Amino acid sequence: MSRPTRVVSARLLWVAAFLVLVLLVVPWTIEAAGRTDLYYTLTSVALLSIASAGVWLTFYIGRINIGQGAYALAGGYTSAILVTQHGVSFWLTLPAAGLACAALSVLIGLPILRLRGVYFAMITLVLTEVARLTALALPITRGAKGIVSIPLPGEVALFGVTIIPDFAGLANVKLGFYYLAAILMILCFAGLWRLVNSRLGRLCRSLQQNEELASSIGVNIAYLRIVIYAISSFLGGIGGAVFVAISQSIYPSSFQVKDSIDFMLNCFLGGLGYVFGPMLGTLILYFGWDLLFETGRFQLLIYASLIIALILLLPNGLLSIRLPRHRRGGT
Amino acid sequence: MNRRSVLASLVLPLVASLAIGAGAQAANPKLKIGFVGVTSGPAAAWGISNVRSMQARAVWLNEIGGVKIGGKTYDIEIVTFDDQKDPKRAIAGMEKMAQEGIRYVVGPNVDDGAAAVRPVAEQNGIIYFPYAFPKALYSPPASNAVLGMVASYQSGPAIYKHLKENKGVKTIAFISANESDPLSQRADGIAAAKALGLKIVSDSVTYQVDTTDFTPVITPVIRTNPDLLVLSGVAPANAPQIIRSARELGFKGLISTETAQDATVLMEGAGKLADGFISVGGASTPEIASDAMKEFVARYTKMFGEYNDESNTKVYALEYIIETLKANPAAIDDVKAFKKTMDTFSAPNPYMKGDAKLKYVGSSSFGQRRQIAVPLVVNEFRGGKFETLFVAEVD
Amino acid sequence: MEQVLANGVYLGAQYALIALGLTLIFALMNVLNFAHGQLYVLGGFVTYTIYGQLGLPYVVALLASAVSLAIVGAALQGFLFGPVIRRSQREESTMLLAAGIAFLLDAVILLLFGEKQRGVPKIVDGVLNWDFRVIMPYDRILICALAIAFVAAFILYMQYSRTGRALRALAQDRIAAELMGVDVSRYSMIGFALGAMLAGIVGGLLVTITGVNLGMGGPTSIKAFLMVMIGGAGVISGAIAGGFILGMMESIGLSVLSQYGDVTYLVIFASLMVFLAIRPQGLMGKPWG
Repeated sequence: MSRPTRVVSARLLWVAAFLVLVLLVVPWTIEAAGRTDLYYTLTSVALLSIASAGVWLTFYIGRINIGQGAYALAGGYTSAILVTQHGVSFWLTLPAAGLACAALSVLIGLPILRLRGVYFAMITLVLTEVARLTALALPITRGAKGIVSIPLPGEVALFGVTIIPDFAGLANVKLGFYYLAAILMILCFAGLWRLVNSRLGRLCRSLQQNEELASSIGVNIAYLRIVIYAISSFLGGIGGAVFVAISQSIYPSSFQVKDSIDFMLNCFLGGLGYVFGPMLGTLILYFGWDLLFETGRFQLLIYASLIIALILLLPNGLLSIRLPRHRRGGT
Repeated sequence: MNRRSVLASLVLPLVASLAIGAGAQAANPKLKIGFVGVTSGPAAAWGISNVRSMQARAVWLNEIGGVKIGGKTYDIEIVTFDDQKDPKRAIAGMEKMAQEGIRYVVGPNVDDGAAAVRPVAEQNGIIYFPYAFPKALYSPPASNAVLGMVASYQSGPAIYKHLKENKGVKTIAFISANESDPLSQRADGIAAAKALGLKIVSDSVTYQVDTTDFTPVITPVIRTNPDLLVLSGVAPANAPQIIRSARELGFKGLISTETAQDATVLMEGAGKLADGFISVGGASTPEIASDAMKEFVARYTKMFGEYNDESNTKVYALEYIIETLKANPAAIDDVKAFKKTMDTFSAPNPYMKGDAKLKYVGSSSFGQRRQIAVPLVVNEFRGGKFETLFVAEVD
Repeated sequence: MEQVLANGVYLGAQYALIALGLTLIFALMNVLNFAHGQLYVLGGFVTYTIYGQLGLPYVVALLASAVSLAIVGAALQGFLFGPVIRRSQREESTMLLAAGIAFLLDAVILLLFGEKQRGVPKIVDGVLNWDFRVIMPYDRILICALAIAFVAAFILYMQYSRTGRALRALAQDRIAAELMGVDVSRYSMIGFALGAMLAGIVGGLLVTITGVNLGMGGPTSIKAFLMVMIGGAGVISGAIAGGFILGMMESIGLSVLSQYGDVTYLVIFASLMVFLAIRPQGLMGKPWG
């Protein structure tokens, strides 16, 4: 086999293995071990990693984004309002939430994407708090009272054939949400991988390295930044909307500054140079907290110490551990 | 490669043991009661006073030989989950409780968390005792949540009425943090004041919970010179600062809140300026505390080094769970039986002098009995201690 | 109006001192120190322990806060930030480290000092009442004066001392400073210690007025970021200006907007966003920090 084909087939093998793991092995293991609480934990990881993927994408054009919580909140409210006040099916509100966030992010992004470095980081941090206060102040979000008792996602049928069952009638709702989140996550990262390896991805990398240079060779940087930021916010909105469906409620505090910071940390921990960094980072940071649940009052202490130890060992992210081996294989 | 294997050998066994290991089972049967709430971060005080009151009571009960339910003696074990005041984590916590086979959970401490765990609790058959006030949680069709304290819309009217009749209060002002829980409580307070015919002179001033200087926040309120200033849903950390700022600006009227406070915190933060501050408490003031309450406070203090007066109101949920289980042993793993017993349950209140009863109430607020009857004890702070102003009942 | 201005000056003085430490660390190492608020809380608890619990004189407690936080700061730079910055490909990785340290300090503070709000006895009694136009307790006036004095002392130190000159050189151009013979790792450590010390001093000052609790850390960091952004990241005069501007905005905003309901902070934050979008480098910052 020639080298490119070998690479491609190896890659396909990895993808197939990952799909089998996420869609078959994990549910089967959970059922076999009787640890059904892990469904929700892994569902959360999947959803949070979708939102983190958006943050990662803004890193890809050289922007530190600490405002993803704002879009998760906006997406959640979009879905909740459409479902409860207009009777729209959840499955339609899901893309609607993403698109609403993308539209919102174009409005917000136009002025703020001119900023760089810590300036952009800080303004997005403020954005999260502005989103919370807006949700508290607006009548349509019901302010402090939040929106509660949101119905579960309903049935989707095409020509009388059920494509997605009514979640309220499911014997195991957790499994339903797990599959929903897992499939969304797979789609998200497949799309992300495709994007990074496309012409657009190369342009993004040129932006990350030197905006002036990219601009001087004819890249429309303003347009590119907006597109990437809109995709990023779309992902945040999707993640938020599914969370609202699970908790069947949303409050202004459902996504806050802490979440925005967590999304960013997930990317750092996984590694900024790796498409799958946010997924791994989310898994470690979120799951890690749950695993330490038995350590009681020392939970936060141990958790924080482990994070610091990880950064000291691997300052370029967890996935950087593969770097040396990769280089050997390449030469 | 080297660093990688070192890391793997360090991390893998740890993860494996934490993920799989359920821990060794003790010989005595254990009755696990859960807690899902916030015990770290900015709001840690709410959850910690909660958890500690449960732990102190559990150790005490186990020391005197455990609890006898239906001919079997159990040791009480408290399983705690820190949700970091994040509703998404609270759901994970409730799932964890279901996984541990726990049927009765105390918490969460805030509105958004309590609303978020509702689907999980109902799917898994868990009864939970939130410290959150939204009526939707307790009114049909919801049926698995039991309000663990006196709600602001119950204590507010009682306090305002008392002050109107005894202290001649005519005008009232509200101030609250711009967060869900305090804002909802402010809305309840405003409604109650209107119903009593009090004149509301200021009801729109809010502050960020992280405010370090309340003088600018409170200046516009003080200008309206109300007879009574209500700190809606005030966190114990903020109360002394607001009181101090108000008094230093020359405010002479009364100050009250509908949440529980801690005497030491008030004394350290505001000193003499906090004298006359009215808050809701449990049953630890000397006039009404029983010997059991005094012993509870002593044990708590010994166990954790310092008592927290907020715990007075939080000691009851565990007591209710255990006493209801005693009354109907079938409820130990069947929440339907528990719900049935709730309608008729009655037992003596061990923490209060006299013949007060533990029973489930809430019919008038929620249309069903989904609230524990905690004596509504209204305290006045004086000279570093709480004194009982009056005691009322919630129906 | 006088009252509103007085409130603003008091807030501004304490904010400026908080922002100074943060901006110093940022200028020297390009580290956005998420743990700055936690350092401030730690300083508050040190003063609480020594002045409030042990009953030693307030000056001793304030000094202990400054010294102990300087040691903590130097240790953070020496053992954590230094090694990570050296080995990291992208300097943003230090943000994760800073967040980890913030978690760690939160946990340590909770275990050592408990979950309750803490306060200390007043250092001065009495209230200044100027004809009901300005009402200001004496302890606030004293703390405000001390804060301004510390700000002035810091500026003088940075301007005229040998260490201050080296630090400024480092902040301006790291490589040039190194070539000119400035011991970068030593001065990085001194700079970090100085920044942490400022946080400790604010903690020690403010514990006498507002008290201290473990939850104040995170929000304080974020507020400090805001001030730094208003003035311009990494610029000392900018941090001071940012602190006073935010203090004034809060004081005036609260008195003007309070009648319109719950939107005060929404307006403050939204107008900050607009300001930064129009003038990204803040008032006095260098563009693109």
